[in-house]
Amino acid sequence: MTTPRSKENHTLFLLTVGLLAWLIPGAGHLLINQKKHAIIIFATIILTFCSGLYVGSIGVINSVGAKPWYVAQIMNSPMVAALGFLTKNGDYPVFGRPSEIGQIYTSIAGLLNLLCIVNAVYLAHLRKTETAGD
Amino acid sequence: MSITAAFIIATFTTPEKIGANPQSMLWLLPLVAAIAIVYKATKLPEIKTAHFLKEAVILFGSIVVFMSIAALVLCTFAWLITE
Repeated sequence: MTTPRSKENHTLFLLTVGLLAWLIPGAGHLLINQKKHAIIIFATIILTFCSGLYVGSIGVINSVGAKPWYVAQIMNSPMVAALGFLTKNGDYPVFGRPSEIGQIYTSIAGLLNLLCIVNAVYLAHLRKTETAGD
Repeated sequence: MSITAAFIIATFTTPEKIGANPQSMLWLLPLVAAIAIVYKATKLPEIKTAHFLKEAVILFGSIVVFMSIAALVLCTFAWLITE
């Protein structure tokens, strides 16, 4: 009777790790007690994302005209959706090289966070499996 | 709103002026550094400053060298086709 409950708890834990890692970059690693990893991931992803916004302005988050980029950008955090809501009317136009660099920076930051989300969930799963093996 | 806060908000609402020149390719370097750092943070089971920095620098160098070779090959092809 205890095994299914433990499995449910494990799935819930993995979901929490994944969701937290998406909400705040590095939070997933913090939850599995990898403090140094969490700090490095948080600082690097936030810095890359902010550099993109600095170069291209918040106009690079374009949920209407640049959907594929937006999908990658929203991997940074669901909070990016709030920026997407601000810019959806086209009040912050950006063109040329600043737009390209801004989009690339913010999207790569999002994809890096996706890598960290997957890594945090995988490590959380691995720890449970190793504990069960012991 | 204070002048500092207004200045900070303004920097994120107006794009920087970056020309489409060869120097703009240098924007690649911070991005490669970020990729190398985050990738190594996910790969290393334990982080010790010196070892982590060494690994990240090696990956950074590898990416830059590989991209430079790729760019050189592509430039050569473009030159051969257009000449």
